[in-house]
Amino acid sequence: MTTQFKVLERNHPRVDAHDKVTGRAAYASDVYLPGMLACKLLPSTRNHARIVRLDISKAASHPGVRCVITGTDFPDIRYGSGALRDRYVMPREVVNFVGEPIAAVAADDEATAQEAIELIEVEYEDLPSVVNPLTAIGSDAATVHPELEEYEGYGFTLGHNVSTLLDADRGDVDQAFRDADVVVEDVYRSQGINQGFLEPMACVADVEANGRLVVYASTQGPYQIRAALAGVLEVPVSRIRVVPMELGGGFGAKLRLAFEAFPALLAMKTGRPVKLVNTREEVFTMNGPRLPVTNYIRSGVMRDGTITAREAYTIFDVGAYLGAGPNSGIGHGIGAYRVPNFRLRSYGVYTNKIYVGSYRASGVADMTFAVESHMDRIAHEIGMDPYDLRVKNALREGDVSVSGAVVPTNGLMETLEAIKEKIDWPRDLEDGHGVGLALCEWRSGSGPSTASISVNDDGTVSLLTGSVDISGSDTSLAAIAAEALGIPMDQVVVAKRDTDLAPYTGQSGGSRIVYSQGTAVQRAAEDTVQKLVALAAERLGVPEEALDCEDGRVYVMDNEPQGLTFAQLAAASITSRGGPIIGTASLSSMPYTPVFAAQAAEVKVDRKTGQVRLLRYIQAQDVGTPINPMAVEGQLDGGVVQGIGRALTEDQQFDPETGAVRNPSFASYLMPLAIDLPELENVLINVPAPDGPFGARAVAEPPGFGPPAAIANAVYDAVGVRIKELPLSGERVLSALNGQNADIDFDVDALRRAEGIAAD
Amino acid sequence: MKQPLNLNINGENRLMLVEPYYSLLDCLRDEAQLTGAKKGCDEGDCGACTVLMDGKPVTSCLVLAHSAHDAAITTIEGLAGVDGLSPVQKAFVEHGGLQCGFCIPGLIMSATGFLQDNPDPTEEDVRFAIGGNLCRCTGYQRVVEAVMAAAQEIRETR
Repeated sequence: MTTQFKVLERNHPRVDAHDKVTGRAAYASDVYLPGMLACKLLPSTRNHARIVRLDISKAASHPGVRCVITGTDFPDIRYGSGALRDRYVMPREVVNFVGEPIAAVAADDEATAQEAIELIEVEYEDLPSVVNPLTAIGSDAATVHPELEEYEGYGFTLGHNVSTLLDADRGDVDQAFRDADVVVEDVYRSQGINQGFLEPMACVADVEANGRLVVYASTQGPYQIRAALAGVLEVPVSRIRVVPMELGGGFGAKLRLAFEAFPALLAMKTGRPVKLVNTREEVFTMNGPRLPVTNYIRSGVMRDGTITAREAYTIFDVGAYLGAGPNSGIGHGIGAYRVPNFRLRSYGVYTNKIYVGSYRASGVADMTFAVESHMDRIAHEIGMDPYDLRVKNALREGDVSVSGAVVPTNGLMETLEAIKEKIDWPRDLEDGHGVGLALCEWRSGSGPSTASISVNDDGTVSLLTGSVDISGSDTSLAAIAAEALGIPMDQVVVAKRDTDLAPYTGQSGGSRIVYSQGTAVQRAAEDTVQKLVALAAERLGVPEEALDCEDGRVYVMDNEPQGLTFAQLAAASITSRGGPIIGTASLSSMPYTPVFAAQAAEVKVDRKTGQVRLLRYIQAQDVGTPINPMAVEGQLDGGVVQGIGRALTEDQQFDPETGAVRNPSFASYLMPLAIDLPELENVLINVPAPDGPFGARAVAEPPGFGPPAAIANAVYDAVGVRIKELPLSGERVLSALNGQNADIDFDVDALRRAEGIAAD
Repeated sequence: MKQPLNLNINGENRLMLVEPYYSLLDCLRDEAQLTGAKKGCDEGDCGACTVLMDGKPVTSCLVLAHSAHDAAITTIEGLAGVDGLSPVQKAFVEHGGLQCGFCIPGLIMSATGFLQDNPDPTEEDVRFAIGGNLCRCTGYQRVVEAVMAAAQEIRETR
């Protein structure tokens, strides 16, 4: 790759690579403190019940047990993951899902803590419950939160189990449907998905002699954990320090407060460090996964392939609590296409099962499965090539996105063309072989971002940001700083940080760190350069305009030998008027920058078993300027494999009566292994983003969106059956091949009526 | 009741007092303060706790500590010598075969054990060799590339 850059667009090993390959990288579960106690949790065995009796006396007097807490040991304060405060950190009277922790024990070791857990006596009085969201949305279903309308942050009055309703409308959608040549209507269903991070939830809490709480956490959002802890413990934010340890995968699951309050309160009560590490079963049964999504989608289309109308009603099961904030699926009901008239609705519906959590652009993979399967259905209905249909309707620069923002320059068309060439579309394959396409869209993440750069005595710099590295972002941020300062990568030290040391920043999630935090780093570097130049001007006795900064040196443009190195300037700064040099930057939001990706799958379907074998998977994504191409491709590979798991094998199952997670282990929740995958093929399209550091776009979310639809479309191409429910297991495909492929029941008219829209 | 246990860990004899129910993994992490091997599931499903026991990769969460009495255990901490990283470690760094890193000690130990037996593998051989190691970040693509590169270096430096 030819490049205008000195540091960017080149492969850089991760700054933390040596720590990680030698086993030195310290994760929260690797924290061992003197006198540390072990914490274990008691899960609820009911999905909706009043706790009549909770007797901890035997547990508390068990030898080696130092403290036992229940919900009433916490202040009587509800909190929420978004604006809606719908839960207690530990239930006080009522449990809402099987697995919900109702007591915590701190003991000398884990085995003793577990013995004590088994000594706690609980009596429940069952309450009516509901598990299926399509039932829960009806008026005669049991109510999950009878006091919902009194909760702080509740803003809807549409139904007793509806936590949120998001909507988006444009044009005259009903007229557009009447004028359409063809109307295509589908219902899709996607399954529950576990984030599958390898490092279980873990936390060590300690109380300093001065009473300050220190929390060593496995988190994507140290400042957000600090704020949430302050709220539920009624402790000032300033009395809490959160130390984000190395993060062993989160993918959204570790964006918010999880179980940190339990060891924190136990540490406050015992005065000793307390460690909580979830078992894998606890990760599956206590910590919010993605829950099933049902998606009604209807389009009005003209004979030439122009899509003129779109209606989508999406039901997001949110489980017992709105653990992920309002879902982000709503904006994706039209996909990466220009649709002049639409009505989009997404409902968050409470049920008595584990609460919903975030996962790699929550909801968008579900929406993309529906939208991109539906695109192929439209193509089939009007007799048009699916590729041509996508090209015809794809968003162009200047179009208006669902949110109302104008689409800036982008590489969407280039991604489609790259995929077409790579898979040699259209292919005429033998029976049982097929290819399928999907188009994915996302935006570069925004949010509060800060950076600080200080110049060291030897002319190197220390870079301080508050963001947790979940994707190799520390390496990318170092590269951005190096490029902007004109120094090599190895002269940037990325500081280890915690909430005391680093400036406030938003969570690491939604593909925002390189784009937003990276911009803050770039600006902080520019601020640093500006200060170095000002100091050099003072010392050299020349105007700033006469100076340039390159290769770690500020020099006079007309007389290059006359100049000062960063090291000389650092030394000079100590006695200068301005003092030691620190460059800083701060920003709150970034302009809308879309990210587009086209993907293609090639499969072989065994007609005898229904087994789908993935032969090739190709993705072409517009990544803008690739800051560190090796890391960019790593994100593409990892994301797409998560999508392949979602397409073919992963399936978080729930008991239809109790809502309990039925497969809480890696042996029963099947994530892809190396042997399940073909070689992954990537094409990087590089249309620089108008904003963002050196033209970089976000990368990590879209790769996981496409595989369910691309593979479902390939299965259709291979054997002529349209599967509308995930995963595309052998059993499901075989049933479809045998003609047992029933459409999914969904009463969309009831939802239309609820908001006064006449049914067709 | 804790009982004496002798292990040779990374070339050093260690005599410890360990509960009879302790796994080798708990023994390494809690008693020997070697936290490189990770507890991802404690059920033998994820492979993050893989170490070499008498040269063979084992999931240390499924090995009772006392059943490893007098065995030679190699953990991730024992791979890098004074002259630097092992060929497998080096290849993971250079090829970007790691992201969050939690599965990496296990993957590197599986690959190291495998390459001792088969330093000239096909890509498919490698995929099978690491077939017991879950990784959620990398999609395995760069992991496989790294192991293939390490194999080549091992062959060339023999």
